[in-house]
Amino acid sequence: MHYDDICRFLYTEASLLDARKYEEWLDLLDDNIRYRMPLRATRDFKDPCDIVNDMTFFDETKQSLRTRVERLRTTSAWAENPHTRTRHVVTNILVTGENGPDEATVQSYVLILRSIRDKPDVEQLFGERIDVIRRVDGALKLVERTVHPDQTVLSMLNLSIFV
Amino acid sequence: MKYGKLDRSLLENVRAKVQRGLLPQWAFTDPDVFQVELERIFARTWNFLGHESEVARPGDYVTRWIAHDPVLLVRDAEGKVQAYLNSCTHRGTKLCTADFGNKKAFTCPYHGWTFNLAGELTGIVAGNKVYGEEMDRSQWSLRKIPRVESYQGMIFGSLNEHVEPLETFLGDMKWYFDLMLGRSDHGMEVRGIPQRWIIHTNWKISADNFGGDPYHTAMTHRSTVELGISPKDPMYASYGYQIVLDNGHGINIVTRRKDMNVPPFQGLPQDMWPMFERNLDPVQLDVFRNTMITVGNCFPNLSFVSPMHGTGGPDEPLTSFVNFRVWRPLTPTSIEVTSWLMVDKDAPEAFKEASYLSYVGSFGPAGTLEQDDAEIWTRVAEASQGWMTQDKDVHYNNVLNYLMGLDRVEPDPSWPGPGVAYPTCYLDAISRAFYERWIECLLDDAI
Repeated sequence: MHYDDICRFLYTEASLLDARKYEEWLDLLDDNIRYRMPLRATRDFKDPCDIVNDMTFFDETKQSLRTRVERLRTTSAWAENPHTRTRHVVTNILVTGENGPDEATVQSYVLILRSIRDKPDVEQLFGERIDVIRRVDGALKLVERTVHPDQTVLSMLNLSIFV
Repeated sequence: MKYGKLDRSLLENVRAKVQRGLLPQWAFTDPDVFQVELERIFARTWNFLGHESEVARPGDYVTRWIAHDPVLLVRDAEGKVQAYLNSCTHRGTKLCTADFGNKKAFTCPYHGWTFNLAGELTGIVAGNKVYGEEMDRSQWSLRKIPRVESYQGMIFGSLNEHVEPLETFLGDMKWYFDLMLGRSDHGMEVRGIPQRWIIHTNWKISADNFGGDPYHTAMTHRSTVELGISPKDPMYASYGYQIVLDNGHGINIVTRRKDMNVPPFQGLPQDMWPMFERNLDPVQLDVFRNTMITVGNCFPNLSFVSPMHGTGGPDEPLTSFVNFRVWRPLTPTSIEVTSWLMVDKDAPEAFKEASYLSYVGSFGPAGTLEQDDAEIWTRVAEASQGWMTQDKDVHYNNVLNYLMGLDRVEPDPSWPGPGVAYPTCYLDAISRAFYERWIECLLDDAI
């Protein structure tokens, strides 16, 4: 899988999310996607693993993501009515594993900047994403996404967005 | 007493209003009110610290907060739960910075003072050479949180050594805690660690929402009605009982209706039902059998919800979960939410997983229900900070409406459980009792 194709895929995805073209975004996801965002914890120096997989902020399937999108399309999803404005800044893209010519494990950094109504404050969410991207019938699809947020206490009031 | 513009007559005036179902809007955001709350509520009452399953083995610890006091909650070598001020007795450094873990001793990074699980000062770098043998180390143990007690695995701490016993404080709430926490043979366990996040709102706004406000569901969560996940009937969350308990506590029980085709015991697996019969008394069992949703608040800021929720479309099965959360007051207009998912230890693994997915899908910062709560609570705080809402002389009729059901809805004496039960959940009775307790605390200068 070409590095350029992977970058183009991730940038396209970010662009669709920021434009709230969620239905088109869903098309980038494999039908069997597992989309998770476990919790980060502050651990003692001798406990190197600071990701807690037993609890998450998101643990989604394609169906539950579709339900989330449909909810955002109702007239009364107040967290996004009026909608908030985001920039998904995706950088530091590294291919960390390949499984044949059509599947890659990709690490990327994500910084989401979010503007809510007339508030001048910048809401931020940042961390790394570990994705599995697969070529299916000639098109790239996201098969797995695991988001590791860097904050142990999220400063965002809610996650009515996708990461 | 006098805090800024607050004095006794002003607070007594608030009390008179609250009793008539009116709350001055400045109560949410006034900085002087916040200072009095820290002193007269959070420093005096019981505060939830964590669940026994989080510190199951000797040496297990978690770090928590009582408002601005850092707390180190540990299981000591004898198996007893201890809570210490998480601050070294030498120069005050925060002693333990990890969220959770297991240790035999805690060493301060500043000068190396070391404390064992019993809180005793066991190690001082170059001890006798610099302090001599005359310094009595037993005087420099970690400072204990004055009172620590638990009920149904729920560990509470109080900074007030004269506080009433926890079980007295919980009162009739114990009966309802049993339904959520004491129904299985081996009790509950926390799944993973609690979610934590910040919301720019006042702690009372969220506590009041969980405690006494099922009325908000029809509008705040209308998106789920539009999706076909929640019933169209705007009264659907009202069917049941709002139960006012002592000490500012309250619980709403939305009950199962025959036309809703909801399984008994919140859809918990049938294999578990014999346990419920063993662990609950017959009245509790009967109430729990017909319970669909419980939601409430344990004064001041421990809220809970145990609904049935699906993550898919209208045809998905509904799964229940038990969620407790603390609204930690940071400033008059910000809180840190710590939210624990609890599940019966004895539940089948498949149910535990489904219950977890049901929780993550609907509650927490990404939950399809809670997303909108947080947004709206920030709007309340945002609109409560200006001149008109802060005015203490009520030039602007700046009181909020807690009139629902006042002198209109009578208690239902046939309710079999404890407390004063009203035959609808669309009612401000719990909110009024919450704010009456709140203002009594603020007026209490006994200590």
